[in-house]
Amino acid sequence: MSRSLKQVAVLLVALLCLDLHSRVGSAPICAHGPSGCHVPSLADLFDRVIQHSARMHSLSNDLHSEFEQYFLPSKNHIGKIYRKCHTSSILTPNGKENAQKLAREELTEVILKLLMAWRDPLFQLHQSMAHQQDFNSFSSNKALEMGDMAHELRKGVEKVAERMRVLGMLGNSVTGLSVAEAMLPISDSGEAMSNYELLYCFRRDSNKVQNYLKILKCRIVPEHDC
Amino acid sequence: ADNEPNDNILYIQCLIRIIYVFIFKFSLPVSDPSRGPHFTGCRSREQETFRCWWSAGIFQNLTEPGALRVFYRTKNALSEWQECPDYTHTVKNECYFNKTFTHIWTSYCIQLRSVRENITYDETCFTVENIVHPDPPIGLNWTLLNVSRSGLHFDILVRWAPPPSADVQTGWMSLVYQVQYRVRNASHWEMLDLESGTQQSIYGLHTDKEYEVRVRCKMSAFDNFGEFGDSILVHVAQIPSKESTFPMTLVLIFGVIGLVILLVLLIFSQQQRLMVIFLPPIPAPKIKGIDPELLKNGKLDQLNSLLSSQDMYKPDFYHEDPWVEFIQLDLDDPAEKNESSDTQHLLGLSRSGSSHVLNFKSDDDSGRASCYDPEIPNPEDLASLLPGHSGRGDNLPLVSRSSLSIPDLGVQQTSEVEETPIQTQPAVPSWVNMDFYAQVSDFTPAGGVVLSPGQLNSSPEKKKEEENEKKIQFQLVSDGAYTSENTARQLSAEVPPSPGPEQEYQTFPTQAVEGNLWNGEYLVSTSDSQIPYLLPEATPAPILPPVSDYTVVQEVDAQHSLLLNPPSSQPAICPHSPNKHLPAMPTMPMGYLTPDLLGNLTP
Repeated sequence: MSRSLKQVAVLLVALLCLDLHSRVGSAPICAHGPSGCHVPSLADLFDRVIQHSARMHSLSNDLHSEFEQYFLPSKNHIGKIYRKCHTSSILTPNGKENAQKLAREELTEVILKLLMAWRDPLFQLHQSMAHQQDFNSFSSNKALEMGDMAHELRKGVEKVAERMRVLGMLGNSVTGLSVAEAMLPISDSGEAMSNYELLYCFRRDSNKVQNYLKILKCRIVPEHDC
Repeated sequence: ADNEPNDNILYIQCLIRIIYVFIFKFSLPVSDPSRGPHFTGCRSREQETFRCWWSAGIFQNLTEPGALRVFYRTKNALSEWQECPDYTHTVKNECYFNKTFTHIWTSYCIQLRSVRENITYDETCFTVENIVHPDPPIGLNWTLLNVSRSGLHFDILVRWAPPPSADVQTGWMSLVYQVQYRVRNASHWEMLDLESGTQQSIYGLHTDKEYEVRVRCKMSAFDNFGEFGDSILVHVAQIPSKESTFPMTLVLIFGVIGLVILLVLLIFSQQQRLMVIFLPPIPAPKIKGIDPELLKNGKLDQLNSLLSSQDMYKPDFYHEDPWVEFIQLDLDDPAEKNESSDTQHLLGLSRSGSSHVLNFKSDDDSGRASCYDPEIPNPEDLASLLPGHSGRGDNLPLVSRSSLSIPDLGVQQTSEVEETPIQTQPAVPSWVNMDFYAQVSDFTPAGGVVLSPGQLNSSPEKKKEEENEKKIQFQLVSDGAYTSENTARQLSAEVPPSPGPEQEYQTFPTQAVEGNLWNGEYLVSTSDSQIPYLLPEATPAPILPPVSDYTVVQEVDAQHSLLLNPPSSQPAICPHSPNKHLPAMPTMPMGYLTPDLLGNLTP
């Protein structure tokens, strides 16, 4: 009798665990409003987002290194190291001072634009990597994870922007957030970009996002030495 | 088949990769003199500015300044080659790009040209974030965490500060650090994992060894480490170990050994006493008996008291109830009484009573001092001496005292006697009708006990009455304890008529017993003599003289059987003395034994 009870208990626990696990992604923390719930501060949100972007960037770096090891770019690529990424049209500050000089709203917009621009290309990248036999499953999984992280990061940054807008830190000039420009990753030659080019471009852009978020945080959240 | 070209491509790519690493990686500004002018490296320290260096190579004619020039181009909208914004004056062959000319996340291509000859000797492309080599951390120091209990190992905590040139506060650069240490002047550096903080613990260092610690850093998610900072020396002197613990263990060990030795000595010295305590001696069985010393001393009174206490030769021995109580008969049942004689029951019918007959109350210790008294002529033993327990033997030796109906018995017995020899009538021997005590009159050579009916005249009055009631005292003869008919007849014939009515003994009158001779309770032969009982067992037995109630142990023969003499009143009765060891001795007072008599008895 006790044994059957134990089994039932184990099953219940397993079901509960499974259930919880499935809802981990999208369960709202404070369903009943800010009254009885711990609302993370803006600084905490920024920290989370920055950590997320750092993780994303490291993934992209790993993938890029793997690509460089196994798929040495041809001489053409060495010569033409300048690759026109599809995100090159987005004006981004190229330095720390430039980024610090940029308005917060614009900086936030840039971040969001970048992240939005990479939603589809990352999905394509994962697809192409999964189909090709040259990659092991580990790399394709990294690509998939990278795409998910980009997606989540974008959501996070949107939340941060929303919080900033609520707090009055952002003006209402941020209008381009909702505009999701579908930018096709097309190289200057008109061909679809290769995986290596995609990885190269994304590595760069993820580093941009990470740095921009850091600068933004330093400017918004009052901290020492910022 | 598809994989083979891929493998070949991989192999070729690997080779090209190696060459690429050699030529274009610019990890260190190492000049290669075998080549022509070339770039030796480009580095950025803080991701805000960068510098490039070149070398003239083997072309010595181009070593003068200005012979070689650097042009760069950024891969953005402006695709013009521009010359190096700043040729560093202090450093030879260095081009410095300041903040305004440094664009992060922008591809740069630089060329080394000889303007005069319009030859481009070298070109390389890069992005600034990929050539960042941070400055070494500063402020490296260490603190002692703890020292092991043995004093041989210690742990330290190493701290440092990020390079001042790197802007980590704003987060422009996120650095990770790597600590390395080694024993001083050793060749191999121990590398620890990357640390994103500014401190790290080092465990398991040996005391009395000097260690060297250094640290470097790089941008996270990038591959270029900066230079190592200055090394620091770590040294912890070995604390002398506490020697107090060592003697403590020695003292303990020696103490224990000493205790053990003491204990062993104690045990051996006190062995006897300990033996007594732990293994007490088992007391030997105490058998009560006559102290031989007492006998030797010849104190008659004491001896008599002893003997009387042991109840050896009590006069009432045979006539007391214990004798009777040894026998348990069914005859006590009054219902049976009337039906048949007790003796008949005893002898004939009650073969089952044999067990009764012999079922002496063994627990009845009346008259005895102890169970182990061997000197009492145990009636049980006497009875058991009778080999003739079979058949009628069990019925024979003892007959309880019971009041029997005399006339019936007498009549019966008379008839029995008349009709058949006793031996042929196992059921009703003539002598059964008496109750009685038998006394051992003699012992046969074979060890049989000869019981004879007691003489009532020699008994006290009480006994007389009893004997009046009782019957015959049986005298068992021979092995079968019964004499044959002939013998009985002989006995009866030869037995002279006993004088007096005192002799209430039972006989087997082979002759017709006339009623007048009957005293009712016992059979009396014409000869009025005591005749031993006869049994069907035809064992010739010697004629035994009639014996009195008590006999005295006259002698112990070689077979250790007690020889009892008939009383002196019937001296001539026994012509056929069964044994030769019947000296005619005067009757002795029963129950007493004088020492000289005892001396006679001993074989």
